[in-house]
Amino acid sequence: MNDPDPRTLARARDGDLGAFEDLVRQFQGDVWRFAYHVTRDRSLADDVTQEAFLRAFRFLRGFRGDSKFSSWLFRITRNCAMDQIRARNVHFERVTPLSGPTTDPQARVELHAALDAVSAEHREPFLLVEVFGLSYQEAADVLGVRVGTIKSRMHRARRAMMDALEIEEDAR
Amino acid sequence: MNHDQAERLLSARLDGERISPRAAAALESHLESCATCRAFERGAYRLREATRFQLAPAVPDLVDEVMAAVSAEAGAERSKVRVLRPSIPSRRRGMLPRLVPLVAALVVGAIVGSLLVGGPWRDPVAESALAAEDVSEGIAAAAVRLDAYQATFAMSERNLSPQVPVRELTMGVWFEAPERFRLDVVDHTAYPDPTTPTDLRLVVDGSDWYSAGPAPCPSATCPTRESVVRNRLPFSTTAPIPTDLVLPLSTFAQPDGIRVLGRGTLLGHQAVRVEVPFERAEALFPFLSLGGDWRPFFARDRVRVWLDERNWFPLRWDVFPAPSAERDAWELRFGMPDESAREAVFSAVALDVDLNVPDGSVFDIPMGADASDQGARPIDLADVSRLAGFEPVAPGRVAGLDRYRVVLPSGGANGTLVAYADGVAYLTLGETRTWDADAPFGPIGLQAEEIPLSGGGVAYFEPATAGAGRRLAIHAAGTDLYLESNLPRAALLAAAAELPVEGLPMPESWRVRQVAGATVQRVPLGGARELVPFPVELPRVLPAGFGVASAEVVEAGARTGVTVYLRDREADAGIGTIRLHLEPATSLPPATSATQSIVRIGDATGRYTPDRAQLEWVRDGLYHSLDAPGLALVDLLAIAGSMGPEPPA
Repeated sequence: MNDPDPRTLARARDGDLGAFEDLVRQFQGDVWRFAYHVTRDRSLADDVTQEAFLRAFRFLRGFRGDSKFSSWLFRITRNCAMDQIRARNVHFERVTPLSGPTTDPQARVELHAALDAVSAEHREPFLLVEVFGLSYQEAADVLGVRVGTIKSRMHRARRAMMDALEIEEDAR
Repeated sequence: MNHDQAERLLSARLDGERISPRAAAALESHLESCATCRAFERGAYRLREATRFQLAPAVPDLVDEVMAAVSAEAGAERSKVRVLRPSIPSRRRGMLPRLVPLVAALVVGAIVGSLLVGGPWRDPVAESALAAEDVSEGIAAAAVRLDAYQATFAMSERNLSPQVPVRELTMGVWFEAPERFRLDVVDHTAYPDPTTPTDLRLVVDGSDWYSAGPAPCPSATCPTRESVVRNRLPFSTTAPIPTDLVLPLSTFAQPDGIRVLGRGTLLGHQAVRVEVPFERAEALFPFLSLGGDWRPFFARDRVRVWLDERNWFPLRWDVFPAPSAERDAWELRFGMPDESAREAVFSAVALDVDLNVPDGSVFDIPMGADASDQGARPIDLADVSRLAGFEPVAPGRVAGLDRYRVVLPSGGANGTLVAYADGVAYLTLGETRTWDADAPFGPIGLQAEEIPLSGGGVAYFEPATAGAGRRLAIHAAGTDLYLESNLPRAALLAAAAELPVEGLPMPESWRVRQVAGATVQRVPLGGARELVPFPVELPRVLPAGFGVASAEVVEAGARTGVTVYLRDREADAGIGTIRLHLEPATSLPPATSATQSIVRIGDATGRYTPDRAQLEWVRDGLYHSLDAPGLALVDLLAIAGSMGPEPPA
């Protein structure tokens, strides 16, 4: 994921609403998708997205650039999502199927079932790295764990997902 | 090294993480002897494909909502903006997210958005929302009702040059169905230096067409260039009438890609506000090509249009710069200043609009200018068979439109052209009995989509372009027909099905041709699958509105390939034809351009050639080439990444 233009970021930090809107435009898709994958609920994802950007706006002055902006934003998004889940006591079983014609619905259901088959601990690094293209370091920044932890969780997540999807049955 | 360690390393390597040379070497030697770990690597790639292609849900556009909440917090808005999200199920079909923003009609967004940009949206009349389909359907239905119209607009344009940061112009538009039209642009700008003002005029009165505007010239005072066309063909696309100014039928024919922003009141009219990219909305800017000086616009700039909700004429439209890095690069290239995505760089605002019939003298065409002659001879229907030498297919009504003009296009005896019209809707029907070229009659290409007609037979379809309507060719026994119309695709096909002819498939002399030592044969897609010894994969992700138009099998010596043409089904808004070529090969052909760069397509290494907008890669022994004149690399990658053996929905 690309980080924003530093000038836009600097202007947004100085309270320029237009610059902040540019950031929202650039990142809303990724933020929403991540929120969706964490909450498994479209309308919760909408709320999380809005709340995450609001918090980002509030705390932007405190962003020191120690991690990438996108990692920082994902961390906020994850926190918002956790708050929403806690507040609404959402159970993961209640999965809203995604709409979108670009994929085979059957395959989609299977993939979601496979994601359910792995624990949140493994699902999150898997999504961050595999779907959102974060590096291990960035994923570690988002989740607040060590890089080595991401490395072993990625491996175990892959193994579990492949087993759930019955990929490579030929070789076993 | 055990399996667990090897798989951890494989996993990290797959994710682009750095592993030490020693670990890499140990991994390679382990892999050579370990089928389980090789299977893990293959499986991980398959998992990656499954994940990347299937976990891309339709994302809502929440910018307006987020910004409303943020501005409320920032105290930028003194008025308390209460943010609520009406839950409106989106009726949109799927699309490529990067190409077309996905959005439900967010009423709050419209109100808040206008507070931020200072629009006229003070009145939160928003009890029900409209979908893009409602806009398209509303305009199509209004097209046949709108018989007369006159309006005046105030226009302002920014950043023509550093010396002229703002220009003020007015525009008058008059229309009387079916083919009387006038457009006047008067330039009121106080230029700092002697400059020829951009004063323009376009007048059309049936078979006569006139345009006048400053000719391009290097000096400060440029002469006026006048063009006149006599004996104009009905609804000629070379001497056109820009009726989208009156009713944006071609701009909004295709609901995909239209973003409904909200509703409100403007000029006392109940109105709906929609957004399309500039490349889709060019028909609202016909004055740009009439002469004088105009600033350039970027293809993906956002055009926000306020449409009268009852009669669907445009009341106001503004151009906002696209917020993207490509736009910034474009600004540099054109020497434009840095333009904010929140400030309109062009605005046209109606001062008054009414549906009264304009005074006839409005459409008087100045005499004296040198005229070109399109040679369309108006004739009586009763005389057609005598003058043309045959009895043409010319029903009294087609697609609900009335027959209103019959001409012999070249004055000769080899064809007829019958025009039908109602309001701003038109359909022309050309016919010839002596067609002997190896291609369909009319401006229809050999790659046109073959469509079965409901009454039997087939026709060949081309989508609308900036300069032409939707077109259809019918090749029947002893006669060739050509239809062109600004009606939607479905209406044009229904009209064709009613005609008393049965369209034949293209004859072999059209389907098979020799090109540069290769034999190119047009085949149905299913036929291509049977003719070639490899799976014909198609992308699952395409720009909104796109589908397979046609396919060709290419044979050159021992090599056999397939080319598939994918096009917009309604109107080409600048993307053009997406061409996909597949052919067995184990490596890419030699590089042909200095600007090529290496890209990753899934697990394959590919090549991108920007000057041809072409992506090439080899996977599973198959060479893939994907190109489309109007697509950026990111779009091509999204399409390439979705390739699979199943046809697109």
